[in-house]
Amino acid sequence: MFPHDGQCGARGLALKQVAAIARATLVEAIQQPVAFLILLSAVVTTLLVPVFQFHRFGEDGRLARDSGLSCMLVFGLVLAAGTAGRTVWGEIARGTAAAALGKPVRRVTFLLAKALGVFAVAAFFWLGVLSATLLAERGSAHFITHEDYSGYVTDVITLALSAAGVAAALLIAAARHYFGRRRFGVSAFVGVALSQVLVALATGFYNRLGQLYPLHGEAACAGCGADHAHAAGWVFYHPELNLRVVPAALLVLFALAVFTALATALATRLSTGSTLAVCAGVLLLGLAGDSLLTGAPFWSGRGLAAGLLPDLQNFWLCDAVARGGRIAWRYVGEAALYALTCCALFLVAGCLAFRERDLG
Amino acid sequence: MTRAATRRREGNVPESKQPVIETRGLRKVFRDFWRRPTVEAVKGLDLTVNDGEVFGLLGPNGSGKSTTIKMLLGLLRPTAGLVRVLGAAPDDTRAKARIGYLPEVSHLHPFLTPRETLMYYASLFGMPRKEAVRRTHELLVMVDLEHAADRAVGGFSKGMARRVGLAQALVNAPDLLILDEPTSGLDPIGSREVKDLVRALAQGGVSVLMTSHLLADVEDVCDRVAILERGALRAEGMIADLLRQPDAVRFEVEGLDEPAAAAVRAELEAHTGRRVRQEYPAMSLERYFLQVVAQDGRQRTFALAPFLGTAPADTERLTPNSQLPIPNS
Repeated sequence: MFPHDGQCGARGLALKQVAAIARATLVEAIQQPVAFLILLSAVVTTLLVPVFQFHRFGEDGRLARDSGLSCMLVFGLVLAAGTAGRTVWGEIARGTAAAALGKPVRRVTFLLAKALGVFAVAAFFWLGVLSATLLAERGSAHFITHEDYSGYVTDVITLALSAAGVAAALLIAAARHYFGRRRFGVSAFVGVALSQVLVALATGFYNRLGQLYPLHGEAACAGCGADHAHAAGWVFYHPELNLRVVPAALLVLFALAVFTALATALATRLSTGSTLAVCAGVLLLGLAGDSLLTGAPFWSGRGLAAGLLPDLQNFWLCDAVARGGRIAWRYVGEAALYALTCCALFLVAGCLAFRERDLG
Repeated sequence: MTRAATRRREGNVPESKQPVIETRGLRKVFRDFWRRPTVEAVKGLDLTVNDGEVFGLLGPNGSGKSTTIKMLLGLLRPTAGLVRVLGAAPDDTRAKARIGYLPEVSHLHPFLTPRETLMYYASLFGMPRKEAVRRTHELLVMVDLEHAADRAVGGFSKGMARRVGLAQALVNAPDLLILDEPTSGLDPIGSREVKDLVRALAQGGVSVLMTSHLLADVEDVCDRVAILERGALRAEGMIADLLRQPDAVRFEVEGLDEPAAAAVRAELEAHTGRRVRQEYPAMSLERYFLQVVAQDGRQRTFALAPFLGTAPADTERLTPNSQLPIPNS
């Protein structure tokens, strides 16, 4: 009989169960073709923005960045809510939830593990789209003043490498599926996300004009826009990625975490379609809430809505990154706390709803 | 050793009548979205399953068998009544760690392979990885799925999925096994193997509660049965007691020719003053089928060690017709 007394205490057992259920949720979610298609759509859309810009008014980078973050939020919301709906509601409907809860697994443990698994999917997606956004911004046309050339330059090499990374990930996934009978969806999902991370790291080996490092002096930097402390010496590795996007992207990740918790809680009682619809409504109201709902008395309908709905404007600060602006890390920390509070409230509500749920 | 397993292995009939499952006035009313009652699935059920016995829950479709089982496992909340399983409430995780459960439909993650499925369920019991790997291998051998261990179960036939379901129910070497329609979807050989397995587990001291509407299955393996109809208990008792016809006696004699048989019958009729029925018994179709298949070389074997928790898997094997008694076939 298991668990072994003394080897695995109640807390240790719960942690093992959380890890096992979350891992199964992650694998189940990313092996679905729809998850891979959502990631692929977000990455390809982000990478295509610099290619199809015609009236840019010198703000190509900003357009690429904003598009990338928008894709991250919208596609991420669909992925998180859809995955939560499918994995929680779907498991209840299929009976796999009952099979797991027939084991020594508490309902709270099960639901929290599910939320964690869904969030892991969203985090993987986020990593891939963040990398694609950084690459798209670097690849978009920038005005450079260089000893060889002055004017707008599109970093075609970076964009081509990103696209090649996606293609290579798909080919490798297909080969693994054909020769090793590995799941195509899992390999493709992980491969596409990782390919963008790897390409982002690889951009540190050449500048926007395609010259390989090491380079000396100003030749090293083809208008990267950063403080050129390196301009006087040799440069061996310089990615020229706009890392000021990372805090803005982190805020979007927090929003995805909030939606993961909300969708997980909703899916204990609502079908996947209903969960998606409610999440879309919360997204719209949460973004518009700042202007529509504030100022109303608390006990009015608008006031209650403002109090209950997460204020998603807190997580959408891409304008703050424009024109060299930065998002303070302190703000990111506070937003993380706000997101954590929202997640905790939604998950507590979800646990209460799931506690009395009949599993047939 | 405290388990009835020891007693049975030593050949002693279990003396302890400690209940492993106990329900008193158990009731379940399903409700619609507006909380209005739609159906009363279980009506005041009083049930006791004792340690070491194989108990059958019989009834037609919709009689409340599966609902009762789900309440025993804490998957459904009773509307009223008391439930104790292994001396604890149904959602007590310590008690659940000693239970193996095979649902009516083998609910499996379609994307996982049988090996991954068993590893997944083993991890839910907190089993160390090394032990989980060993146990998984033993169970895959036992259910004859080693050859398909790395194929996704989504493509499995109903019978193969049932075997995976059975293996996951045994992953924790349970003290109490709850089987909901265990032979559903299995071919006659698979069905026979499951019944043999249940008997073997019972001999090893595992208490078993099984539901079925296949009466022959229940008659083959169960010590005691309860019959439900429309959620209410209609009959309960030892199978031998329930089925005994006290006013009839049957003799079976081998090698009696027709004149001798006629003489015996005439003598009995003269003695009792009643008509005596003379029959030539035939083997069951199941037994005949198994014999034919065995001659065809397709007979499978069962490795029993994983359930009994004794010897390694390859030391103790069972064929459906040989080492275990086949009751009432």
